[in-house]
Amino acid sequence: MAGIRIEGLHKYYGQVHALDGLDLTVEPGTVFGFLGPNGAGKTTTIRILTGLARATQGDAWVAGEKVSADFKPVAHRIGYLPEEPAFYDWMTPREFLDHIGRVFGLPASQRAARVKELLELVGLEDVSKRRISGFSRGMRQRLGLAQSLVNKPEVLLLDEAVSALDPAGRKEVLELLERLRGQCTVFMSTHILTDVERVCDTIGIIARGKMLVQSSREKLLAQYAIPAFEVEVESGFEEPLNAWIEGLRRENWIQSIQDNGLICRILVEDIEAAKHNLLPSAMQAGLVMTRYEMLRPSLEDIFLRLVGEGEQE
Amino acid sequence: MNFQAALRKEMLEQLRTYRLLMVGAVLIVFGLLSPLLAKITPEIIKMIPEGETIAQLLPPPTILDAVAQYLKNTGQFSILLALLVTMGAVVQEKDKGTAAMMLVKPLPRLTFLMAKFTALALMFIVTIAIAGLACYYYTWLLFGALDVPAWLALNGLLLVFVLVYVALTLFCSVLMKSQAGAGALALGLLFIISLIGSIPGLGEHLPGQLLTWGGGLMAGETETYWSALWVSLGIIVAALAGAGLIFQKQEL
Amino acid sequence: MEEIRQFIPFLVPIIIIQLILVAVALSDLIRRERTKGPKWLWALVIIFVNYIGPIVYFVFGREE
Repeated sequence: MAGIRIEGLHKYYGQVHALDGLDLTVEPGTVFGFLGPNGAGKTTTIRILTGLARATQGDAWVAGEKVSADFKPVAHRIGYLPEEPAFYDWMTPREFLDHIGRVFGLPASQRAARVKELLELVGLEDVSKRRISGFSRGMRQRLGLAQSLVNKPEVLLLDEAVSALDPAGRKEVLELLERLRGQCTVFMSTHILTDVERVCDTIGIIARGKMLVQSSREKLLAQYAIPAFEVEVESGFEEPLNAWIEGLRRENWIQSIQDNGLICRILVEDIEAAKHNLLPSAMQAGLVMTRYEMLRPSLEDIFLRLVGEGEQE
Repeated sequence: MNFQAALRKEMLEQLRTYRLLMVGAVLIVFGLLSPLLAKITPEIIKMIPEGETIAQLLPPPTILDAVAQYLKNTGQFSILLALLVTMGAVVQEKDKGTAAMMLVKPLPRLTFLMAKFTALALMFIVTIAIAGLACYYYTWLLFGALDVPAWLALNGLLLVFVLVYVALTLFCSVLMKSQAGAGALALGLLFIISLIGSIPGLGEHLPGQLLTWGGGLMAGETETYWSALWVSLGIIVAALAGAGLIFQKQEL
Repeated sequence: MEEIRQFIPFLVPIIIIQLILVAVALSDLIRRERTKGPKWLWALVIIFVNYIGPIVYFVFGREE
């Protein structure tokens, strides 16, 4: 099993710094979510890892081998799915996968079995005799996934693999990726947070060509999420709610409070103090509450905050 | 192994996209039509007013007129076909993204390129062979038998002549960013070669001379133009090597 | 005129090749979902422009 390592990667397109000293490590056998807004450098990174593009500066290793352009033995061990996979449209999916099998040097018997297996895996066996030219975007994406798996890769590089799919198709593909965990290292770029939250063990957030943070999902949530509470009162209690909020603002375990009429959101510095003090103080203030809730921190909050901070620098 | 896979794909594509049919149909039709046109040209001229007198001034058509027609027609159209079927070969795969899909797999870029050239060369070998055979048959019916070794040599020279333009257009297809650009650049190169050829003394060392040589062989002349053959083969090798070097360095 | 008539049988293979080209081009046109330009126009070009019609269609008309 092999992972990915990137050290000080730079890529300039004229004046544009697509990558600006990127570092990252992907542990073997994990699913790595490469998260960032559009134009952050995700596709460039993947293109360098596959050898399609050259880094201006810096090094990268995939499956233990240093990345270089053109033919390299490591091609046998990786799978790649670009954002918009392209095919020989005059072929049928069966023929295309067979062609890929030939390129990988699989013997005929093995090839036929593998093609059948993959067509079933991605649910294209019913259309296996139709020409690819008539395929929908979702079908092309699934065929793209199949072609990236022909050689049973050790490292799978996926560029926005599920972004183009409808919710049902996305769920299927994510479940498929889930099953690959432990068998191969998956490196998936995406700008959709829920995908990452669902399957990724480790998350890296990239913005403007730099890695902002790389950490396991749990650690990221624990470290960056600010604990928050929400309190909702019955109508007619706006006045006491406001008074209560004003009082709370003076407490040192409070970070900030957003007031939205009947609902208020309280971000706290010290979660333990908040757990012990918040509810009793609300009772004391005579509020009639319809809801009192401790919010689960979301990855989206962290993402937006980190990317936002990056922008301000 | 992967050369075979790539070559198989190229040949399958020629069949499925009807390129083989198209090239074959054009060349075979000219193979049949050339001796026929040579034969009936005087008859056609007779049909126009005053044609009778003009026709009497013309010598009766000979077997060499059939050969000249064949060289002129297939020579011109095979260049045009070479351009049409080659100009998109690489640039289209880069543009659509299939090149990127395939070249991250264990398929070296040079193999990818050489499979394309080999498939195109095979296509012209087959179609010129059939066209040559067709022309041989009609010439035999209309005029009499052609000298077989000389006829084989003529068609071999025609093939080398075509492959010069296949290799040059393939080079353009690697270099340019669009199919139209590749076609235009290839036309430009074609123009430059014919321009150089018009300089006295240089023309006989250029690919065009191969056709003249072939015609001479049919007429029983013994003059040789080896320099034209070496220059042609040199252009083919240089164009392919250049295409390979540039393609290796390109980002896909 | 008589002299020309005797050569007409020689045109038969050429006409057959033309018919094959037309048939293949038309069957491709019918099955294809998208072409560059209207389909009916291509049908006319393929049928009425000898040789050149089907070939122009193969080169320029088809859109994958």
